Amino acid sequence: MNLSVLRKNLSDRWAGTLVYALGILGYILMISAVYPTFKKTLTAKSALLKNYPKGLLQLFGVKDINAASFNNYMTIELVGFIWIIIMAAFVIAWTRAMISGEIRDGTMELLLAQPVERWKVLVSEGVGLLAGIVTLTVVTVVGTFAFGSAFGAKVSYAGFAAFLPLGICVALAIAGYSLLFSALLDDPRRAVMASTGLTLFFYVLHFVSLYSKVVEKIDWFGVFHWYNPLPVLDGATVPVKSVLILLAFAAVGFGAAMVIFQRKDIK
Amino acid sequence: MPDTIISTSALTKYYGKVLGVKDLDLEVVSGEVFGFLGPNGAGKTTTIRLLMGLLKPTAGSGSILGLDTWSQTVGVKRKVGYLPGDARLYRGMKGEEHIKYIAALNGDGEKTGLELAERLDLDISRRAGGYSRGMGQKLAIILALMKSPPVIIMDEPTNGLDPLTQRELYEILNERRNEGATILFSSHNLPEVERICDRVGIIRQGELVATERMEHLRAMRLRNVEIIFEGAMPADLGLESLPGVSEVERMGNRAQLKLRGDINPLLRLIARYDVADFSVSHASLEDVFIEFYELPEEKIEAEETPAVKPPSPPRPLRGGRK
Repeated sequence: MNLSVLRKNLSDRWAGTLVYALGILGYILMISAVYPTFKKTLTAKSALLKNYPKGLLQLFGVKDINAASFNNYMTIELVGFIWIIIMAAFVIAWTRAMISGEIRDGTMELLLAQPVERWKVLVSEGVGLLAGIVTLTVVTVVGTFAFGSAFGAKVSYAGFAAFLPLGICVALAIAGYSLLFSALLDDPRRAVMASTGLTLFFYVLHFVSLYSKVVEKIDWFGVFHWYNPLPVLDGATVPVKSVLILLAFAAVGFGAAMVIFQRKDIK
Repeated sequence: MPDTIISTSALTKYYGKVLGVKDLDLEVVSGEVFGFLGPNGAGKTTTIRLLMGLLKPTAGSGSILGLDTWSQTVGVKRKVGYLPGDARLYRGMKGEEHIKYIAALNGDGEKTGLELAERLDLDISRRAGGYSRGMGQKLAIILALMKSPPVIIMDEPTNGLDPLTQRELYEILNERRNEGATILFSSHNLPEVERICDRVGIIRQGELVATERMEHLRAMRLRNVEIIFEGAMPADLGLESLPGVSEVERMGNRAQLKLRGDINPLLRLIARYDVADFSVSHASLEDVFIEFYELPEEKIEAEETPAVKPPSPPRPLRGGRK
């Protein structure tokens, strides 16, 4: 790893990361503030939720209807959907900049004209990305602790602590294939479109898999099959298998991106 | 015999099916300033990027200071200061931050970088995003030279620079050469090549068509000669029979002609007569350059026959020639 590249990377991206963090905190504040009202109208909402298609609820990470549960509420309102969108946008934007964006901007030529190995550039920027992902996931968990408690919710501290590694790893898995597209495609817009498209595909695949046994098997190859936050929040147990598989997704994507970047022409 | 600092052997690069450079054999020796000439798309930047390990050769190889430019590229970059063509900077970083960042990556050069910024009169307290093209080019030049490298590679270094800064850059390069640096740069600017280069390579459609010492190019270049004789022009003068003479025009006692190569046969001929005036003007290097592009390869080869060529250059500097 090259510390100068890492420092510059963090220095470049801290403002953007701060905006994402404030956005997440603002959103958690809003939904936590709504939670007491939501809870008061619980019966009606539970009945309403029970009438929703099972697959639709599962799409948002809900399998058993228990709207009184803050975990269930936060899964529907935050970590099951919105948080994934925010984190996907964050990592896709970051990985776009790491290779294809920097080549397009011409600054990769300036950087690689210096005596620094390509793999060190990628590892240093990858460590920066990891720091960004960890920061946003910690902000999510700490924000949920703080605002949930402030609005009288029964927060499962252990459950959200157990969510941390799952949240970090699902973001890393998305980062893995996004970085691969960034290395493969010269046009950064195409890299973003490919990453966004694949993320959407995995999400839809996961939704469809709830209705089809055949598609369920295909869904094993998608990242969202391994991302199921509600049992983690309820059980307060780190899903080791899911975490490891998501890490493998990340490692394969990052490794393939590294191989391509090592040989890539900087035009 | 001077050490070879930069060399390529059958260096070839294709972008898919599109030719970048082909079978490039080039040698630049220690302490030499080598100018790389060619129009847009001829392969200058491709060659330079291959030398900097930014492109992977399709075939052949290059080396700088004995290090392979692709497999040992980090070692190469420790020794080479590189100015990209159309250099881009980090728009959000100040000039001074650029200098500190590049110094940190190289482990040296901050002091020299700050001195160069002062010398080139660059405001390094501003963000690069607010720089004009010329200011950005100045900063890029500083970043290339700040580690005082033994080898300097620059792709069109005077692009966007005002004449005063150009002159300052020539002085800096001259100083670096005197300190022993070897310099390769590409340029469209023929007067600058003529001013600071020891030798030039001319690249055309991805192939190196010639490498010549500057004095050789100067000798090869066309002279426009005018002779005014005392009284009538001798009828049996025989100007056309002299080697290298062409386009002879006679007007009364005045003769105009074009001469390439050795001027002495002409001088010996006209010394037999009374001459009222004699003037020689040199065609520009640009004319020589344009000629390389207009002539078919066979003719370029033919032009290198001993009859036209001046004496051999003092150093065995000839690179590849197609």
